[in-house]
Amino acid sequence: MAISQALCTSFKQEILQGIHNFTSGSGGGTTTSTGSGNTFKIALFTSSASLGAGTTAYADSNQASGTGYSAGGNTLTNVTPTTSSTTALTDFADTTWSSSTITARGALIYNSSTTAGSANRAVAVLDFGSDKTTSAGDFTITFPTADASSAIIRIA
Amino acid sequence: MFDMEVTASVGGFEVQTTNERGHTPEELAANAVAKIINIADSADPVLRQQAEAFRERMFYVIVHALNQAVKSDRTTLYNEFKKQGHADVAETLRKL
Repeated sequence: MAISQALCTSFKQEILQGIHNFTSGSGGGTTTSTGSGNTFKIALFTSSASLGAGTTAYADSNQASGTGYSAGGNTLTNVTPTTSSTTALTDFADTTWSSSTITARGALIYNSSTTAGSANRAVAVLDFGSDKTTSAGDFTITFPTADASSAIIRIA
Repeated sequence: MFDMEVTASVGGFEVQTTNERGHTPEELAANAVAKIINIADSADPVLRQQAEAFRERMFYVIVHALNQAVKSDRTTLYNEFKKQGHADVAETLRKL
């Protein structure tokens, strides 16, 4: 079992198929042509999970659990994609599980909207490097600066 | 032949955890400042110095604003708890 940081291969294909819409204003977007973005979520997983480039969709198995955490994870706030020089990029607002007691080794960002007939398509796997734990505290994922060299999702 | 390479990648991120407390205004301000200003390694030294000074100043402005927000929210909560008949909880909050 392992968690390997990656942009999921299925996601790369789905970009070319026009399946994901990261435009700000999630909540709508059962299709990609509505003008509002899809809903993206981030779920936490334990070290028993197997996640990596080959992950194609969110699944419950080996998801983190504990006070302050609900299965499926947090809904992310999309930041409308932009460009910097020749790089296209998108970003999310930082997310926090408040007053939580959780142990997690990694996370999966996924598209919870139903797009092209299927929901919960995987986007990216985040590897924390080691178990991260809260005890009645805040579990925060801070996304990097949204620029061409650092943004969480970049196409160069 | 003509080909084109497109690279899609996932960026670095941070996981920050706390035990038996929330994040402090200083911790949150550091995150905010890091998002607002990113100084390139290749930046001109003079520009870098100015950017670093601005970043430091911004850090303290944000810390101050966050502290004000915390205090203000406690006032709201203090009054809410008092209205609900929990004067002891309200008093504990006020003393924090």
